[in-house]
Amino acid sequence: MIIFRLWNLIRGYVVINITNTNYEKVINLLQKNKINLWDIEKKEVGISFKISYDDYKKYYKLMKDTKIETVKKTGFAFKYKKIKLRKGFVAGIAIVVLCLFLFANLVWNIEVIGVDQTIAKEIKNVLNENNIKMPLTEGSLNEKHVETIIHKNFNNFKFVEAYVEGSKLIIFIKEKELESSVIKDNTPSSIISTKNAIINKAIVKNGQLVVRVGDVVYEGQTLVMGIVKNKNSEEFMMVPSEGTIYGKTYYNFELKEEKLKTFTNYTNDDKKIYYLKINDKKHKIIGDTEPFENYNYNERTIRFPVFSNLTNISFVSGKYYEEKSEDIKIDENTAHNNMKVKLYDELLKMCSNDSKILNTSLNFEEDDNYYYLNAQIEILEDIGETIKIFPTEAIDDDEVNEEIKED
Amino acid sequence: MKLNNFRSKLADDLEIPNNVVSDNFDMRIHGNKKVIIENHLGITVYENDLVGINTKEQTILIKGSKFKIEEINDYKVVVKGVVEEIKINSKE
Repeated sequence: MIIFRLWNLIRGYVVINITNTNYEKVINLLQKNKINLWDIEKKEVGISFKISYDDYKKYYKLMKDTKIETVKKTGFAFKYKKIKLRKGFVAGIAIVVLCLFLFANLVWNIEVIGVDQTIAKEIKNVLNENNIKMPLTEGSLNEKHVETIIHKNFNNFKFVEAYVEGSKLIIFIKEKELESSVIKDNTPSSIISTKNAIINKAIVKNGQLVVRVGDVVYEGQTLVMGIVKNKNSEEFMMVPSEGTIYGKTYYNFELKEEKLKTFTNYTNDDKKIYYLKINDKKHKIIGDTEPFENYNYNERTIRFPVFSNLTNISFVSGKYYEEKSEDIKIDENTAHNNMKVKLYDELLKMCSNDSKILNTSLNFEEDDNYYYLNAQIEILEDIGETIKIFPTEAIDDDEVNEEIKED
Repeated sequence: MKLNNFRSKLADDLEIPNNVVSDNFDMRIHGNKKVIIENHLGITVYENDLVGINTKEQTILIKGSKFKIEEINDYKVVVKGVVEEIKINSKE
């Protein structure tokens, strides 16, 4: 019915009054002439009804004969008649709409992100030379082509992306990073042990090795010394030590795993709650707070674009998800596997990535409540750490010697 | 009249809609608010509390109050208002 009324409003309709007492005959007469009537209402004297503007035009003469009175003409058809007279105004609006449409479809300027002003200017010049001149229509601009031109002309860009946003062509650039050259440090240094270990292998490129294969070393003990005796003289000189010292290390672990574990599962039951939030204070509208014994609660704030900013009023929609706790018995294999995974996770944190497992001894036990794992792992790893040597000044040494003599 | 009755009976036997073959009117009532009559021949009476509709073999009288004819064309008429009584009189 709404569509019918809307359609009538668009094509226009006429409200007509009949003061004649024989209005039933008029209705029948019009209806037999295939004129559709609607909203026929009884007035104090006669009736009023509506007919379409087309029918009104067609049967105007017939209506005149039945002595009817036109009360009102409504609809777009009549407005259109008036608009038709104001040709300049309509043409102006049409031009404005056309201009808006055209200008909104143009790309007006280029914005380069990720490089400095000079390179940005160079990029714009290169694009200009390749006939990419602003303004351009969005349709005629091929972003991939722009990217290719930039890649061809500039070798020091790692990543280029071109895209149109509104009336701008945005070119996003990531420059290649310069490889930092490693400058060898000549500061005198020694290599010390970071762990208690048994020396397995030592590869020394620089410095003097002070331990032998098979020696037991402790944390902090010097492995390679940065003070070497000069071959040509009796003097000692300090050098930066360089080398890799492999040692066997032993790790002991004691892990336990519960036999009964409590897991929380979601039931498919959930309940919603709505709040009205005024100045950070929540006022409940619908729903219950804490409807379940065990639950997980999520909420989100719904803000209305302008209204919420002006009044600081928003809605909060919350949802309670029911949770159920369940005790599950862990079988022996699963527990053992879990403990093994934990063991290796912890081991990885303690050792470097190039370490090698030489021997593993795992001992599983259990009691009423727990599974236990006692493990000893033998690892071959680099145990050396370079530390700088700070030479004490010669004057200080002399002073010390003099002090000793005086004593 | 007889022919119309025969067509109506035939439509019933063949299980096809009655108004397709016969000239009988088709009336639908929505609560006591709206009456839709199809296959009519025009209006006989129209007052605030009474609407009379002519069909081929009968005259329908709708009694009530606040009547308004929502739509009328050569096929159907829609009467809106508070319907209290509907009376169908044979023309014979």
